[in-house]
Amino acid sequence: MEYLGLTLALFGAALASLLAGIGSAVGIGIAGESAAGVMTEDPDKFGSCLILQALPGTQGIYGLLIMFFALNKLGLLGGGEAALVTWNQGLQILASCMPVAFVGWYSAIWQGKTSAASIQMIAKKPEAMGKAIILPAMVETYAVLALLSSILMLMGVQLG
Amino acid sequence: MGVAELKKAELYYHKSVRSEVAKVLQESGVCQVVSASLPETVARAADWGEKLALYEEQVTHIRYLFRTLGSFFIDPISSFDRMLGERPVLSMADMAAMAATTDLGKISARVKDLEVALSETRVASSQHKVNKDLLLKLKDFPYSLSVVGDGTRSLKGVVGTLRQDQLDSLIEDLKPLAKETELFVCKGDDDAKASKTKSLWCVLMYAPSVEQRVLDTAVHASMSLVEAPAHITGSVSDELKILDAEIAKCDKKEAEILESLKKIAAETMPTAQKLSDYWNNMVERARAMLSSDTTESTLITHFWIPTESLPEFKKKIEAVSPDIALFDRAPIEGETPPTLMKNIDVVRPFEILTGLYSPPPYGETDPTPLLAPFFFAFFGICLGDAGYAIVMMAAMWLLFRKYKRVPKTTKDFIMIFAYGAVATLIYGVLTGSFFGDFIDAFFFMAPFRAVKNAIMIMDPMKDPMLVLGFSLVFGIVHLMFGLLVGAYDHFRHGNYADAIGDKISWFLFIVGLSLFGLGTAGALPGLLFDLSKVMSIVGAILVFWYAGREKTNIFSKIISGLLALYGATSYLGDILSYSRLLALGFGSAVIGMIINLLGGMASGIPAIGWLVAITVIVGGHMFGLIINVLGSFVHPLRLQYVEFFGKFYTGGGLAFKPLGLSSEYVDIAK
Repeated sequence: MEYLGLTLALFGAALASLLAGIGSAVGIGIAGESAAGVMTEDPDKFGSCLILQALPGTQGIYGLLIMFFALNKLGLLGGGEAALVTWNQGLQILASCMPVAFVGWYSAIWQGKTSAASIQMIAKKPEAMGKAIILPAMVETYAVLALLSSILMLMGVQLG
Repeated sequence: MGVAELKKAELYYHKSVRSEVAKVLQESGVCQVVSASLPETVARAADWGEKLALYEEQVTHIRYLFRTLGSFFIDPISSFDRMLGERPVLSMADMAAMAATTDLGKISARVKDLEVALSETRVASSQHKVNKDLLLKLKDFPYSLSVVGDGTRSLKGVVGTLRQDQLDSLIEDLKPLAKETELFVCKGDDDAKASKTKSLWCVLMYAPSVEQRVLDTAVHASMSLVEAPAHITGSVSDELKILDAEIAKCDKKEAEILESLKKIAAETMPTAQKLSDYWNNMVERARAMLSSDTTESTLITHFWIPTESLPEFKKKIEAVSPDIALFDRAPIEGETPPTLMKNIDVVRPFEILTGLYSPPPYGETDPTPLLAPFFFAFFGICLGDAGYAIVMMAAMWLLFRKYKRVPKTTKDFIMIFAYGAVATLIYGVLTGSFFGDFIDAFFFMAPFRAVKNAIMIMDPMKDPMLVLGFSLVFGIVHLMFGLLVGAYDHFRHGNYADAIGDKISWFLFIVGLSLFGLGTAGALPGLLFDLSKVMSIVGAILVFWYAGREKTNIFSKIISGLLALYGATSYLGDILSYSRLLALGFGSAVIGMIINLLGGMASGIPAIGWLVAITVIVGGHMFGLIINVLGSFVHPLRLQYVEFFGKFYTGGGLAFKPLGLSSEYVDIAK
């Protein structure tokens, strides 16, 4: 049982990059379908479409970031000795990873849908690019807040 | 600073000088031509309509040429270079001369002929290939193919396919007609013979007298008939030779046509691109002038013009002819003049950000100079890395060194990022971030550590709460500034109640509460602490009073007031929204740290470790830079649009779009 803590912590780190990554993949996929549709009509919109498609991609990066942060905390990066983690501390790290894992997952999908709608918007009104970027960014706010929660929580966890 | 003053102008001139007038109007680039508010009995300038049709025809030719020849033309100027201003410099006069000597109609007619010939050749070639395929199936057929086409007087034939397992039954069925028929089965490939369900090619020949019976029998045996082309009448091998020759001929012809299209593309595309700019500008000119009013011999054009451009324009237009009269007046009630934002050079690039939201209505406050310093600071905090800032600056320096004629809007857009890079550098140095923790992560950077630590005033990684607090304070300042601007706007329009009840009240309430919060933590001197209590109470009373002021019933007054005070939660939400400044700054720092960590791990690989490490570090930081720049642009922008603008700005103006010379392929010399 001596590795239970480490396993729990790793489970959390895995969920952070896993769920947020899935969310971003789905979100970018949704936006990409819309972008491809618009570009069949007007290939010149590639630049704008690409930016809008990329917006739901940040959640995956936030998840990865938390995963690395946790791994770093556990001493699993850089080849040194792994930190000794009790099951209690392992659970704490698992809990810290939850905000970014779940909010990242869901917000990326919804951000993808909003991006897809924004892409349709610039198909008709290219001058509305500013508004088109802001709408998906409204969704991302919650992923940013979740990232912040996870970072602050991870920083707060004390490993003896 | 703010929104430029516009005048509504009316220009009266004689018909004979209309082209010259139109030219000056367009080339001065300061007049937004509008249709007049005169009664409709006044005729519109019909002859501009005729011209417009002529110009549009030219544009149609050019579009056709672009569409058809585009794939045959390798543009020597890449679209990236073109966007950054690498275009040939030509004046409208140069292009007019070019337009006079270039018959676009003739060129596009020629291209159209070639296009038709090309598709005809391709159709013919594919028909020949289909026939060849058929003949290859019948390649061991020993007789002349005239049998299966129209037939002869005593013999006819049909070609068809038959499943291997149906063959015996067909032969059986044909036995009663053995004298009048012959079934020839082509050898086909071995593969077909091996499988029972594969089909065989066969030719069924018969005397015309028994045609119907034979055909019925064939159909009964599930033979599916294939129509053989009537014009093929020789032996299979002869016909195959002919077909091969025909196909080769088609291929040659196709190659020739493609070659000539390529040649035409190389010759005409550069000209067509230049003329595209010319004719599109002429179309714009005619379209604008079409809204002029006309009498027998006079034309009247109405337009908006910035007051400060008026004297120079007057000089230019009066030089055209002495018989021109220009009247101008201020906008009157009921007119909606367009908005021309006008700011000092330092702030001007940020007009793009305001424009992306919505320009201010004429005569209202332009938020550009107000948002510029905040956007600048927020971008810096979000990206927050001196290394990334240096890369951005170097990239922009190289870009501006290579491209000297970057168009104004593109340049302005790049300048926003240039300012952002400056803020990023400042914040990065103050927080000791250089490509993440590059200086601390690698031993060879050790000499710089002392310098870094000496300048650094805080470390977000070690003290995130400090940066969070600082982000929220920044947020309060931003929001309160927005409220004060809103109050100022209300005062300016004489809405004193709105200014005090809706803006000042919240200002006092929120600032008071914030100070009170600091005071309870013991961070304020006593006097200020007392003041904070007074401010928040006065603010709350004002909010309460304003919300209920139009209600007559005392209970409704109280309920409205309490609901309004509950609105404080939305301010809480707004303020917390600024925590993204910390989060995004963290994001770039941690991504940078991870890349350095991975680079450091990679350097441990024997022999090629350093190479892998450099690749990981350079590639990783490039990726990090792009991702973080996008985030650092989008999120501060959101803070402007949602949190800041929400306090005072609604936009809704129409952008001033003067008739001017626009260009895509050339740089139009004035």
